[in-house]
Amino acid sequence: MVEKEVTVTNRAGLHTRPASMIVRTASQFKAEFYIHKDGYEINGKSIIGVMTLAAEQGATLMLICDGPDENDAIEALSKIFADGFGEVV
Amino acid sequence: MARRAKMFKKESISVAFAVEQLQKSVGMTAKALNYTDAETRLITESNLHRPGMALAGYLELFTHQRVQVLGNTECRYLANLETDEERKKAFNNVLKFPIPCIICTEGNVLDEPLLALATNAGVPVYVTEEPSTRFMYLLRDFLEDQFAPQQSLHGSLIDVYGIGLLMIGPAGIGKSEVALDLVERGHRLVADDVVMATRKEGQVVMGSGTDLVQHFMEIRGLGLVDVRAMFGIRAIRFQKRIEVVVNLHPWDPDEEYTRLGMMEETYDILGAQLPLVLLPITPGKNVTVLCEVIAMNHLLRHYGYDPAEVFAERLSERIRKKGMASSDPGRGIEYFEHDYE
Repeated sequence: MVEKEVTVTNRAGLHTRPASMIVRTASQFKAEFYIHKDGYEINGKSIIGVMTLAAEQGATLMLICDGPDENDAIEALSKIFADGFGEVV
Repeated sequence: MARRAKMFKKESISVAFAVEQLQKSVGMTAKALNYTDAETRLITESNLHRPGMALAGYLELFTHQRVQVLGNTECRYLANLETDEERKKAFNNVLKFPIPCIICTEGNVLDEPLLALATNAGVPVYVTEEPSTRFMYLLRDFLEDQFAPQQSLHGSLIDVYGIGLLMIGPAGIGKSEVALDLVERGHRLVADDVVMATRKEGQVVMGSGTDLVQHFMEIRGLGLVDVRAMFGIRAIRFQKRIEVVVNLHPWDPDEEYTRLGMMEETYDILGAQLPLVLLPITPGKNVTVLCEVIAMNHLLRHYGYDPAEVFAERLSERIRKKGMASSDPGRGIEYFEHDYE
């Protein structure tokens, strides 16, 4: 199991488009993927779950991957957070 | 099995929030008697305290961090003190501690000088018309609920024949599809994808959706579906006790599945042990109907009928009688008369 803390950098926050990006990326990996925010944890492969976080710009999230390809998964996922989902920062 | 999500609980709620919610959700009015910053005054536990002993001057073991309830006894005691000075002294015994708030019951009000002391100390004072016991019962129940352990679960919660069925399993196994199928058959959706579980007393775990998602669900290939808009009010509910957990997973030849009795295993949610059914998914299997059977079986067992037990009893009875009658497996009916239906 690997964990990594990330920050939401884009101005619009974690709205529908970034949420589907996260889920699409996560689904390419075998590893289970969870996101942890304020003591609340959701399954990162579920789009409704990711949207439930309603994370705003500046919010910090803990990404957790668990499975055979967990290192690749967490790298790919933290990269899309770092890129601000290709949106205005 | 999936990694277990962490539980969380509220550390505190503000006095203003508690009073507002008491009015809104419990229908109990408490009127503020002084102006204080009730938004930042925090309640941190569900227990209540009646500070009779503290007013009288005995301060050892005074549980000042609790909500302080002044009933008839406390108010009468204060009123019966000789002078204003004595009253202030008694009241200060309570106020010198960082108490969250004071609530007077049965319409008892405090004198102006005492209220001024409370305002100076920043302690909000409220009055309610409710009798002490009833008020304390309702407030405690409300606070217990606020401070109850909670956990978010990945799954679908449906009311099937009145039984709260929580379907869990890996992403993409078809939980939402089964939930939709159950709704189509007249059952009621509580939440899909993210279920918020709250542990109540005993083995009771209550489930609901989140305030944002409510009755939306995602069906892969279709997108978002609003079950309430599509199927109407009959297809949803906002809360349900979680009574049975159904774990959907791809069929595994090495896994040992229950054959005769159902629900021997349990699933832990926030420390409560709930009956668990492992349901392997194979092509052509109608999971919806199986979920209905699981719910009905739970109902039967709840009312004291266990099919596995009944059958075992029937079998032993037959074995005991061996020798008396023919030992071959008999036809289920003695004589077909002339009925060829």
